[in-house]
Amino acid sequence: MGNIYLGVDIGSVSINIVAIDEENRILFKLYTRNSGQPVELVKDGIQQLRIKLNNKIKIDGVGVTGSGRQLVGYILGADIVKNEITAHAMATTYFYPETGTIFEIGGQDSKLIIVKDGIATDFAMNTVCAAGTGSFLDHQAERLGIPIEEFGDLALQAKRDVRIAGRCTVFAESDMISKQQYGFTKSEIIKGLCRALVRNYMNNLVRNRNLQGKYIFQGGVAANLGIKAAFAEEVGEKIIIPEHYNVMGAIGIAQLAKAEIKKTGKNTSFKGFNITKDSFETTSFNCEGCANSCEVIKVQANGQTIAMTGDRCGKWSDQINHKKREQQETGS
Amino acid sequence: MKITFPHMGTTLIFAKLFELFDHEIIMPPRPSKKTIDLGVKHSPEFACFPFKVIMGSYLEAIEAGADTIVTSGGHGPCRAGYYGELHKKILDDFGHQVNFIIFNAPQDNWSKFMENLKKIKAKKSWFNFWRNLKIIYKLAKAIDNVEKIVEQKRAYSPNGEVDLIWKKAKEEFNKINTIDEIEFVETKVKADLDSLSIHLPADKDRIKIGIIGEIYVVMEESINNYIEEKLNSFGVEVERSHYLSDWIDDTFLPFFGESTKIKAKGQQYIKIGIGGHAQESVGRIVDYKDRGFHGVIHLKPFGCLPELVSQSMLDKIAKDLNIPILSISIDEQIAEANILTRVEAFLDMVRQQKSLEERKIKHG
Repeated sequence: MGNIYLGVDIGSVSINIVAIDEENRILFKLYTRNSGQPVELVKDGIQQLRIKLNNKIKIDGVGVTGSGRQLVGYILGADIVKNEITAHAMATTYFYPETGTIFEIGGQDSKLIIVKDGIATDFAMNTVCAAGTGSFLDHQAERLGIPIEEFGDLALQAKRDVRIAGRCTVFAESDMISKQQYGFTKSEIIKGLCRALVRNYMNNLVRNRNLQGKYIFQGGVAANLGIKAAFAEEVGEKIIIPEHYNVMGAIGIAQLAKAEIKKTGKNTSFKGFNITKDSFETTSFNCEGCANSCEVIKVQANGQTIAMTGDRCGKWSDQINHKKREQQETGS
Repeated sequence: MKITFPHMGTTLIFAKLFELFDHEIIMPPRPSKKTIDLGVKHSPEFACFPFKVIMGSYLEAIEAGADTIVTSGGHGPCRAGYYGELHKKILDDFGHQVNFIIFNAPQDNWSKFMENLKKIKAKKSWFNFWRNLKIIYKLAKAIDNVEKIVEQKRAYSPNGEVDLIWKKAKEEFNKINTIDEIEFVETKVKADLDSLSIHLPADKDRIKIGIIGEIYVVMEESINNYIEEKLNSFGVEVERSHYLSDWIDDTFLPFFGESTKIKAKGQQYIKIGIGGHAQESVGRIVDYKDRGFHGVIHLKPFGCLPELVSQSMLDKIAKDLNIPILSISIDEQIAEANILTRVEAFLDMVRQQKSLEERKIKHG
């Protein structure tokens, strides 16, 4: 079996793991809900990977992205830890070299990436408001008593248009309730909601930018056909949803890990499948060494400190790095 | 008179000024989470973010015994001109009896300006007065000269050697009393920096990022999440649009300072002064592009009108000049992880664009 690279995306709502081979083929793909225990879920995911590939694998590179990338990066021994914007752009431009615009909507943030000639030239991320992201849709689906998987499809059945105020999630919710009381159907309200969220996305992220095709829509929310339809209506063109729309970040970071290993020529620093048996603990303390009083975060595996971070001067993080260097030099 | 002042950038310069006139100084603590909490609690919600942080600094300094606050005023559309008056009113309301010495540009009101100067001059002779001002001016220039080298070399010093020299340099500068001593320290620090075995890469491998925006958030690193150090740690060189010595030039010698030249560069985009440093911010982008910088980061305090106006022009300027610009809004809500994600993605983008352009040139 050829080389295998692992990509892990630790998002706020989902945790995604993929394994790709030398030709970027996807050997393993896992999308799980983040229940707030990222480390346990990653351990579990790695275990599933091992079973799926019959134990017969050696990992040649690991990349971690997403908002929880730092901690998991330490635990796995990642070769590359990078932001999700770069990771998403990487995967999308690989599958669609002619991409012009990427809409990415995840659990708690939404992004816009503008691509030209296969590289990102501009991006925007939601800053002050989470209206229009997956968590909000989840919440509303629950309130209307509709499984999130069917939520978007219902929007397509609407016969009439109803305008929902989408600037703020709280007001959107009260507007929905009042529209329900006027007698609009669930599907009409969902359609109105989808359009409001896309309108909000356009106002906050796209602003006065001039968008170009192809239009790619990815992230967990891309499963929602109502949002897809609303985007298509807004830009007046076809919207493409990639086959692996919900794990694009993980694919991108796996590709970046591969590139990193090729570039440096180093062996992977992956800690191996045994980490599924380790226990990890994270603690923090305020360093009182100087007036900065940094909050230092300490990560321990089986009682041994594997990472320290957050100190501006390097007093704590250097100790760990120093130990690592020594170990590498002595070959242990 | 126990003097304190806002914490902005290299505060040792302000401290040295008052020290030379034999005033007792209460150093404002470096703004921390506590400073910000205090400031936010005692400020109107819709005040700009620097107002709130400075409010917090004053409260901390007052608690440490300060009874006189020296600060700058201003005029024109930016609300910073009222900061002093409003801070004073709020502190009065909370029962803090402190004196304010607010310096406006001298041409606004000569007699008030002279009256303020005399308070600072205290018992010193006019001869000493001018001598001391000259020392402070030279000190500001020397520190800024050194910092500009630090902002460049730190990008290639992952193990913190440059930071160590910079930290020691500030301690040394803090001990000076004469112009000769300033020159001595400056020469020595520059020699120390030169003696480090740091090789600047070839020009084509260097990445330079300019930081523009509102003066307080650009200069006060504890408020902008140490953005310069962060950029340096990603291996890129940095330069700011504001340095204290430039500010002195622009405020007291407006026709000799650089700002007139910079404003002229942005004339095409912003013709009239709208307060704050909006014109300089825009002009600086053009200036950075002219000087071969690869990207610009724009810092805007939440609620800052002048920078909100300049932000609305950024998309067009970025397109016209073909230079990537990242705008970051700063307030008490901002999380470090958020800034890091954006800055890292921005730098990835800058690098990719740079190498694409180089490939284009190579292949005609």
